[in-house]
Amino acid sequence: MSLNDLLVNLNLIMPITILTAWACVLLLVDLFIPKERKGITALLAALGLLVALALVISRAGVATSAFNGMIMIDGFATFMSVIFLFSGLAGIAVAYDYLIRSGIERGEYYVLLLFSIVGMMLMAAAADLIMVFLALELLSIPLYVLAGIAVPRPDSEEAALKYFLLGAFASGFFLYGTALVYGATGSTALTEIVSATTSGGVNLSFLVIGAGLILVGLGFKVAVVPFHMWTPDVYQGAPSSVTAFMAVGAKAAGFAALLRIFVLAFPPLAMDLTPVLWALAAFTMIIGNVIAIAQRNIKRMLAYSSIAHAGYIMMALVPYGQGNVAADTVASALFYLLAYMLTSFAAWAVVIALEHNMGEGRDTDGLSLEDYSGLGQKQPALAAAMTVAMLSFIGIPPTLGFVGKFYLLRTVIEGGFPGLALIGLLTSLVSAYYYLRVVVYMYMRDGEPVVRREPWLYFTALATAVGVVVLSIFSEPLFNWASQAVLKLI
Amino acid sequence: MLLEYLPIAVLLILALLLAGIVIALGHMFGPRHPTERKSMPYESGMRPIGPGTRRMPVHFYLVAVLFILFDIEVMFFLPWAVIYKKLGVFGLVEMLIFIAILGVGYVYVWKMGALEWE
Amino acid sequence: MNYYIDPLTLVTFFPVIGIVVLLFLRADQKVHARWVALITSLITFGISLAILAQFNPANPDLQMVVNIPWIQVAGWNISYFMGVDGLSILLILLTTLLTSLSILSTWTAVQDRVKEFMIFFLFLEMGMLGVFLAQDLFLFYVFWEFTLVPMYMLIGIWGGKRRIYAAIKFFLYTMAGSILMLLAILWLGIYQDTFNVPELAAMGGIPPNLQFWLFLAFGAAFAIKVPMWPLHSWLPDAHVEAPTAGSVILAGVLLKMGTYGFLRFNLQLFPIASVKLAPWVAALAVIGILYGAAVSYAQKDVKKLVAYSSVSHLGFVMLGLFALNSQGVQGGILQMINHGISTGALFLIVGMLYERRHTRDMDAFGGLWKVMPIYGALTLIVVLSSMGLPGLNGFVGEFAILLGSWGAGLPGGVLGSPWFTALAALGIILAAVYLLYMFQKLFLGPVTKEENRVLSDINWREILTLAPLIILIFWIGLYPNPFLNLMSASVDQLLNAMQTAAVAGIP
Repeated sequence: MSLNDLLVNLNLIMPITILTAWACVLLLVDLFIPKERKGITALLAALGLLVALALVISRAGVATSAFNGMIMIDGFATFMSVIFLFSGLAGIAVAYDYLIRSGIERGEYYVLLLFSIVGMMLMAAAADLIMVFLALELLSIPLYVLAGIAVPRPDSEEAALKYFLLGAFASGFFLYGTALVYGATGSTALTEIVSATTSGGVNLSFLVIGAGLILVGLGFKVAVVPFHMWTPDVYQGAPSSVTAFMAVGAKAAGFAALLRIFVLAFPPLAMDLTPVLWALAAFTMIIGNVIAIAQRNIKRMLAYSSIAHAGYIMMALVPYGQGNVAADTVASALFYLLAYMLTSFAAWAVVIALEHNMGEGRDTDGLSLEDYSGLGQKQPALAAAMTVAMLSFIGIPPTLGFVGKFYLLRTVIEGGFPGLALIGLLTSLVSAYYYLRVVVYMYMRDGEPVVRREPWLYFTALATAVGVVVLSIFSEPLFNWASQAVLKLI
Repeated sequence: MLLEYLPIAVLLILALLLAGIVIALGHMFGPRHPTERKSMPYESGMRPIGPGTRRMPVHFYLVAVLFILFDIEVMFFLPWAVIYKKLGVFGLVEMLIFIAILGVGYVYVWKMGALEWE
Repeated sequence: MNYYIDPLTLVTFFPVIGIVVLLFLRADQKVHARWVALITSLITFGISLAILAQFNPANPDLQMVVNIPWIQVAGWNISYFMGVDGLSILLILLTTLLTSLSILSTWTAVQDRVKEFMIFFLFLEMGMLGVFLAQDLFLFYVFWEFTLVPMYMLIGIWGGKRRIYAAIKFFLYTMAGSILMLLAILWLGIYQDTFNVPELAAMGGIPPNLQFWLFLAFGAAFAIKVPMWPLHSWLPDAHVEAPTAGSVILAGVLLKMGTYGFLRFNLQLFPIASVKLAPWVAALAVIGILYGAAVSYAQKDVKKLVAYSSVSHLGFVMLGLFALNSQGVQGGILQMINHGISTGALFLIVGMLYERRHTRDMDAFGGLWKVMPIYGALTLIVVLSSMGLPGLNGFVGEFAILLGSWGAGLPGGVLGSPWFTALAALGIILAAVYLLYMFQKLFLGPVTKEENRVLSDINWREILTLAPLIILIFWIGLYPNPFLNLMSASVDQLLNAMQTAAVAGIP
């Protein structure tokens, strides 16, 4: 590689390059921003994300590979990058005021967020298992720190430690899987794995075990049952703004890697892996939704709900090995991730608006369901946003959650798994019970909810809620866009 | 294939044997006159009094971690230097980027006051 | 660019305009909110009358069709496809009329959060109209599920003591059925490659054993909505806890979504399964008729009595539809309208009483005729209509249904046994028993309770609310031809198509 090649390649991944450089610069700039004006850092970070977003969108339609095939810039990476960048922006919008009033405002928060997004974008573009691993670490380590940024609050520390330990554990699984795949095929590049497998002479049992371990490692990241144990504690303990970002970004990134690795490299193993994926999806949907019923804390409830939704997205992956359905697998998963992102941020923005510190004459922290009593009368806008989010999570039209679920189910049925689709639908019915309970508290009980009035929180909640409804009605462009994001070997 | 490792195995066995023999010989033939001082845990003469774990400034750890961090990263210079000529200007630029990233970290650490003792 | 808005889109989404206006009102502008909602619903009713004027009864096909591609990517074939035909035109009118009357009935009954009430009510109207007009399965499902949300809110916020339980039960029950329907819709969308209902009906070609399962999947959603015995247990709770206006719409229109669904989708899309399963459906319908009647008789709560009577009456509708002949289906459709009118009126009447006395216990009343003569007279008309007195609307529908089921019960007919008709006729007698029993308990005899002496008779607004329904009761009862004419062409075409498909399908 010559100097010129380097520049060309850096140019190919310009949004990532810019974001990385910007994060480094911001880390230094932040040192000179006085403590009480960290809003500037937030603004600058958002600016960097916007520039990257503009670059990503202006380069949509490009399909090429960079760094000797380590990275693929294609429709898939573009779609996912947009999801990550949007979640970054929303993550900053919901965090700004929350950090101040929780007394944990630090410039590093935003810098770490940027680094994590760089990791996510690399993850979606990575076409080599080593690259996936690097991206995985790059996205995870800042999140470990962010989860514990409310130090010395014990639950935040616990969340950080738990997340770190299990994350490291998951990385180990992933790395071991990578090693086995390398042992079996002699390469870590996705293209070469598949060509080695199809040309024969590969130790298939090593390859299958390797693929399984990779699935386990990424399964931890996206929180599918039985690798979900960390989720409720971490989601509950971490500061809510971090949880919101983590619930969307880390999950989406995990699925991006799963989709790319499985659809590109492992179709020959579909016979062995499909039953595993089927079981993972089914158990995740059932257990996530059933345990969520018992939760009285809204953050814990949303944590289990996020597990359940990992199960729904996992459904799309089940028929990944069937050539004619694989395109739908990718497109429907992407579509659902987008729906999930918008819906989640609508819900989390409301949660953050209601969360408050105990003390100062208040004996609650605004996180139990009772604290939502009367919200429908006192804050109709927030309550409406939350209702839309809940309906979208259930999958009631006209919301993006419904259209997304419809697409997922179509993929599953097309792939020939009507039983799994039925499980998905029945668990949606179960989920209706606990999501509607939030609506019950908001509209059908009286109370005096304590609400933080802050423009950015309101904006995030309302904009995402409106987006959830409007995009569900005018969803054709989104369908178009998602279905163009097919995964192909370049 | 395994045959290639034979010399290493032989060396390993020889080393173990030699060490064992030397220690055994010393044990058999060496004169021993134990005194109170000689039987102490530290023959340097330091008296092991007080608790085994002593409190010390947590700052030690921070500095130690930072030292290890930068030390290990600087270690990347070594392989780079070996093939520096092959890489040419490209290598130089790469290394400059690497140093710049290290520098960012260093400035951050400095400015955050992690290097100040008081 | 064409700015012309087709009438069906206009009627469906006109309530949204009212909702937007309502959003700009303050919470304490209760009177304004009522007027905005009433005017919106009246204009919607006006639009539906204009649709009726444009409607050509001789044309059996869908009319005023609007078909715009909606989601046409990735192998999807979803369109915004609306149309009205003889099967749905009357239900449109019923929906818009009952919505207006219900809003009128809330004038004094709803004092709390009026603005939100009206918003949800208009949303509900939009959803119901969409259900009856949608001709694309995806679009239909969107409207179908959407109606759940406002109804859930209406029951849950403005309902009685156990409103939250009732609301959640209503939601979960209905959604449970919808889920199976969604699976079937997806199956059709994938393997028949379209969601377009007329196209699917014309295409046919679904193997009989598969039709059987798809029929059951669709049927599950509709049977819960109707509700057919034994899936009815959500209904008494929802009805009793819902506010009056909610009950009126629930009984008057929402239940019809179930029977309409059977008519529009099950009969059209799965003709072979329909023919084969007709005796089973009819058996459940007859059980529903007798069960509903028997349980009604046992009720002390007037509203619960009316609620269970719905189970009985909708059994008639189902029996008529699955007689699969012209009289039966026409009678079934007419009975849907009749039930909407009579039961809607009964719920309004019960609501008026409840507003005055805050109880619905039959034992708390007696001798009301002396205190409230106008109210008594109107109630008598409605009760007689509901039990099927000749000359009033109920008789026409029930008679046609019995005629149809008798025809189907003859040797060679789809039902294959005259017992269905015989037992259903018994249901009419039972209806007379429980309805007259109720009337007697409430109105006849001496005034036993002191607090009943001071009750005021109904006022002009309340008379105005009931008047259109009373007029329709007489009109349909004395001269039903205009109503039957509207549907006969479409019904005949549907039955002919079924006949052909069934003959072609059964080897």
